[in-house]
Amino acid sequence: MNDQEPKIDLKSICKNIIGIGKNYKDPLKEHVPTDEDPFIFAKPTTSLITEGSSIQIPKGWGTIIHEVELGVVIGKRAKFVSEDIAMDHVLGYVLALDMGKSLEFDKYPILLIKGFDTSCPISDFIPKSKIENVDKLNLKLSVNGNTRHDGNTRDLIHKIPKLISYLSNYFTLDYGDLILTGTPAGISTVKHGDVIEASLENLANIKFPVVEIQ
Amino acid sequence: MASQVIKVQTVCRNIIAVARNYTEHAKELGNPVPKENPLVFGKPVSSIITEGEIQIPHGWKELHHEVELGVVIGKPGKFIKPENAMDHVMGYVLVLDMTARSIQQELKKQGYPWFLAKGFDTSCPISDFIPKSAVNDVHNLNLKLAVNGIIKQNGNTKDMIFKVPDLLSYISNYFKLEYGDLILTGTPSGVSGVKHGDIIEASLDDLAKIKFPVVENEK
Repeated sequence: MNDQEPKIDLKSICKNIIGIGKNYKDPLKEHVPTDEDPFIFAKPTTSLITEGSSIQIPKGWGTIIHEVELGVVIGKRAKFVSEDIAMDHVLGYVLALDMGKSLEFDKYPILLIKGFDTSCPISDFIPKSKIENVDKLNLKLSVNGNTRHDGNTRDLIHKIPKLISYLSNYFTLDYGDLILTGTPAGISTVKHGDVIEASLENLANIKFPVVEIQ
Repeated sequence: MASQVIKVQTVCRNIIAVARNYTEHAKELGNPVPKENPLVFGKPVSSIITEGEIQIPHGWKELHHEVELGVVIGKPGKFIKPENAMDHVMGYVLVLDMTARSIQQELKKQGYPWFLAKGFDTSCPISDFIPKSAVNDVHNLNLKLAVNGIIKQNGNTKDMIFKVPDLLSYISNYFKLEYGDLILTGTPSGVSGVKHGDIIEASLDDLAKIKFPVVENEK
């Protein structure tokens, strides 16, 4: 353990959060590879919260949905980077919850349903050196003690180097930027009073209560 | 009065934009006019440029220009009432909300978000910062844009469907507004395509003038 590694406070340094949707294979089904481009959206940095804060459902929404994801933190500016050197641009990781109003992307603007304040709870920063194999990490989430997500990053459709390379062709990725790499199956709703717990292997553990703004 | 040299590109951590906020523009694209609430979307801060070229990603061939009034937040706030909204404004910029229109249509058809079509690098050219005190009436500003010397857009902020205080109030209900945040308030009619070699010039009344050449990336 390197005691001299600087403490990274993502909320202060992050200027860009890009989310990737529909990025997990169903491990029970035969996956048909396609050359479809990644499904990309963004969350404002005001959506970031850390433990100690609650997830706040906007007044009147009733329920929101949860997704649990591996977040990749960029360490070195990336523009037009090729897949083979993409991982050189990674500073580390976080465990993230990608909260949303619903999956009704055609009914509401995606910025609203995916980007409302507190919709991006994150764990402490995990330095890159702590993760041997990023393609074999268990992601788990439970609501009030009941498991909802139990997946593994081996089921990512577009892997991290591909995501970094693809995104860097269109968007300059900078130090502190966060890429949410998608969620395994298990999306369900939460409401006022529920408690979400999630883990990334034994690397990060987070717990967030859910409240609805009155 | 202290004069501040605000570098929006440096202080901005969020860009929130509003679509279809001018009736004639919604009509020209065959889009329904929003009735209840503004239609919001985001652009990443990496899209901001203050000089240099607007770069069309390789292969996209054409972009649409959209000239807009940008509002810069000074005082942070959440759940801001419309009557207090202007207290949170520290100034303005003239903005081009560059859009890859055909990419946007494709994404819409697939049920994908617009983010790629609206957020690519150089898709948010901005003018120098305009202090709030320089603007008498934010709802009576001329927005003009010309391509290769030919005027394409010529509108006025009085035609905004949702006015600035209502926009800021609505946005602040869901997204806390922070110092340096940039809100794009919509574009009047007259959007058209620009391609490699074109030159865009735009003005906001006599408050700001910008000029950006357009190139398509070779790679």
